Amino acid sequence: MGARKHILMVLFFVFVNFLLYPYASNGALSDEAKVCLTCHANKGMYKTLQNKEVFSLYVDKNEFTTSAHNNIGCNGCHTGYMAAHMQKKKEIKSKKEYTGNASRICSMCHTDEQLKKIPIHSPLMKQALCVECHGSHYIKKMEEWKKDINETQYCLGCHKHDLTKTLSSGEVLALSVNESAYKASIHGKLSCSACHKEFSKTKHPIRTIKNKREYTALSTKSCSTCHTDAQLRKSPVHSSLLATAACVECHGSHTIKSIVAQKAGAPENQYCLSCHKGRLSMSFKNGESLSVFVDEPSLRNSIHGKLRCTECHADFSKSKHPVRVFASRRNYSIVTSDMCGRCHSDANTKYKNSIHHALLKSAKLMAPACTGCHGFHTVTKTGKDLGLVSCNKCHPDMKSSYEASIHNKARMKGVQNAPACSSCHNAHDVQSTKMTAKIKDACLVCHKNAEDKHKKWLYNPPLKLRTFTELHFNTVACAACHAPDAGRGIYLNLYNRKTGKPFPEEELLKLFDTDAAGLMSKIDMNKDGSIDSVEAWNLFKYLFTKGASTTLIGKMDVSTAAEAHNIADKTKAVKDCGACHNPDSPFFKDVFLVIRKADGRPTVFNAKQDLIGKDLKSVYAIVPTTKFYVLGSTNLKLWDILFIVALIGGIAVPIGHLTLRIITSPLRSLRSMKKGGKK
Amino acid sequence: MKKIYLHPLPIRIWHWVNALAFIILIVTGAQVRFGNVLHLFSFETAVNIHSWTGFILVANYFIWLVYYLATRNIKIYIPPLHHPVEFAKKAIRQAKFYGLGIMVGDHNPHHSTFDNKFNPMQQVSYLMIMVLLIPLQLITGLLLWDPKLFSPVINLVGGIQVIDIVHVLLWIFFSAFIIVHFYLATLGHTTWAHIIAMFTGFEEEEEEEEGHGAHSSH
Repeated sequence: MGARKHILMVLFFVFVNFLLYPYASNGALSDEAKVCLTCHANKGMYKTLQNKEVFSLYVDKNEFTTSAHNNIGCNGCHTGYMAAHMQKKKEIKSKKEYTGNASRICSMCHTDEQLKKIPIHSPLMKQALCVECHGSHYIKKMEEWKKDINETQYCLGCHKHDLTKTLSSGEVLALSVNESAYKASIHGKLSCSACHKEFSKTKHPIRTIKNKREYTALSTKSCSTCHTDAQLRKSPVHSSLLATAACVECHGSHTIKSIVAQKAGAPENQYCLSCHKGRLSMSFKNGESLSVFVDEPSLRNSIHGKLRCTECHADFSKSKHPVRVFASRRNYSIVTSDMCGRCHSDANTKYKNSIHHALLKSAKLMAPACTGCHGFHTVTKTGKDLGLVSCNKCHPDMKSSYEASIHNKARMKGVQNAPACSSCHNAHDVQSTKMTAKIKDACLVCHKNAEDKHKKWLYNPPLKLRTFTELHFNTVACAACHAPDAGRGIYLNLYNRKTGKPFPEEELLKLFDTDAAGLMSKIDMNKDGSIDSVEAWNLFKYLFTKGASTTLIGKMDVSTAAEAHNIADKTKAVKDCGACHNPDSPFFKDVFLVIRKADGRPTVFNAKQDLIGKDLKSVYAIVPTTKFYVLGSTNLKLWDILFIVALIGGIAVPIGHLTLRIITSPLRSLRSMKKGGKK
Repeated sequence: MKKIYLHPLPIRIWHWVNALAFIILIVTGAQVRFGNVLHLFSFETAVNIHSWTGFILVANYFIWLVYYLATRNIKIYIPPLHHPVEFAKKAIRQAKFYGLGIMVGDHNPHHSTFDNKFNPMQQVSYLMIMVLLIPLQLITGLLLWDPKLFSPVINLVGGIQVIDIVHVLLWIFFSAFIIVHFYLATLGHTTWAHIIAMFTGFEEEEEEEEGHGAHSSH
């Protein structure tokens, strides 16, 4: 019933239009178009699409009359839609769908083969719809359109749409231009070809561009036609940036504002980011370069996200941008780290006492400054877990060792005070831990009663004295017992006998008149890469003649720093005294000579076992090692031989004497008989 | 045969404790040092026994010292250095006896009494042992017992290695000495005479036949 009513209404509508046609007809419009325009010339005519977009159905009669398609009846293009009027309403999902369908209709007359003959059409046909560039009801012949329109409008005819170009590298280059932003830009009154010189209303070459970088470089060339190099280099910042940054990276492309307007309009951070959000880099004297790109979202999400750039970069502002020259990337990192100290003075003071800072001072430039652990613009709120990421960057060999440790297992179970890196090594005043008392102190921070607990079993009867436990604590690294799978070694540290402090490497280098690299060759006289007892004696003797009384004091530690982190459950710790106190103890196989720098950092040289007994040659080491002795482990072989000789002698004397007495017993019997005879 | 009272009870106790302690210390010392080849005890047990025995030996030494100082009989250890020539002659005669006379049936030239127990060679040896070597061994042992506690003293003499060397060399000496000492103890007028005397205090001695210092058998 409804359908019949609908058909009757349309027939009535067509009939009325037919009657009115002679009066309504005008110019070259087809009769059919005139009929359609009876309604569609009404500006208020629209349709709400399924996606709620409002779609205007208005057609400007005058504009349509002058279009290239004025003599084609509406049904020529809107084939399906005319029929739809006769039935129920045509359902349209979106403007995009409608535009797509409409554009397909163009190909009924303008075939693909025909269109592809025009080079620019060929790539565009895949991404732009006919109507997006050419419009719909007001299409003009290209010649006429070009004549009547200015260049910018001509270009924007296509480029206001979301056009893209896929470069050889696979990168996708956006070709769309925001018309209003462009017109508001400082170049808004320039025609497109002022910059895009190869293009005009009459030519649109198809270029092959490798990548965005190449395209950006091309664009920079365009800029330089007006903004000469000499002019740009007047500004020191430009001068330094010209080598690394393309113009568009700071200034943008179609939305360029004058610098004055840019400074006035943007908050400080935005002003800085206008350049630094680009892929800028700075170069250093040694040829290195460093990206000075700042990822805006990361910066905002960082703990410093609400700070102004100049709160850290105090030398910079909207009005000043000094050009600084640095020797290298590391040099830059070190200098810039100082800026952290302005707010974080406590951490900075601690850092100045750290092994990392000491390394930096001694030209070990890979040692971390603030940014080495905390990063630059992505600084987050840190806890002790930071080290598990940042420390592992430079100390990857510690990672697996620590992860297998009882400490990490406790941490994984959520034990609050389970230690991570900084718990033992400190967060900022990171210390050299190898064979120092400091690492023991770090253990005792948590294991406060460790000495008392050890005293229960680690004592020498009949008294349980704390000093006996302390002796072991002072000479054996905690890890040497508590990392049962680790290798161990004896580290003979060179001490000043008078002061009782480590004999500094710096002083040793002066006395030998050499540098750190040459020190080993000065001590290792036979150049076998290992210091033996004779060489230790020569070292001692040489230093003594120079007025320095030294001694070697040994301590036991694990062989590698990584092993020190694999602390096991205490039930697995080495508790058998005989594991160390035995001539064949494997823990005494590896021997090292350690010379410390004034700041505590050790230089470790390989040494031979004869430095700790084990050999007849060890007698040479007696004097240099008068302060080092381990019961049952560092026996002097000479005494062992002497003991055997003494035992043999002690047995031989009675046997020899007794033998003589037995041999001479007849003499005594004879003498006794004589005396008996007398009697 | 007559019996001479030579060894008072405190000295007999001291001697046998000393002897036992010495043997224990020598053996446990060897265990500590040669843990790789000797397996009488674990290192820990050897150290425990050694330390306990060491302290017993220290206390025992004071029994000896206090007794001899209190009775003023310490003089039996002091060689008559105011008659050096005579003492040297006696020493040579004693050495000759052990080297030759004992083989051909000479009598021991030394006649032990309570106040003159030691022959010249014993006198020098025991003086050195009792006044120098044993105290040195006890002191070095004590220092090694807890090097940290006694570190000021240890550092004063140059370091723990020095202490260890002294202690080990004396251990070597005493190891050899104790063997020789035991053999010499069998050189009385019978094999067991000296040894029994150290238990009973009395030593049987043959009656003198004639002259001074000479003994004759019946």
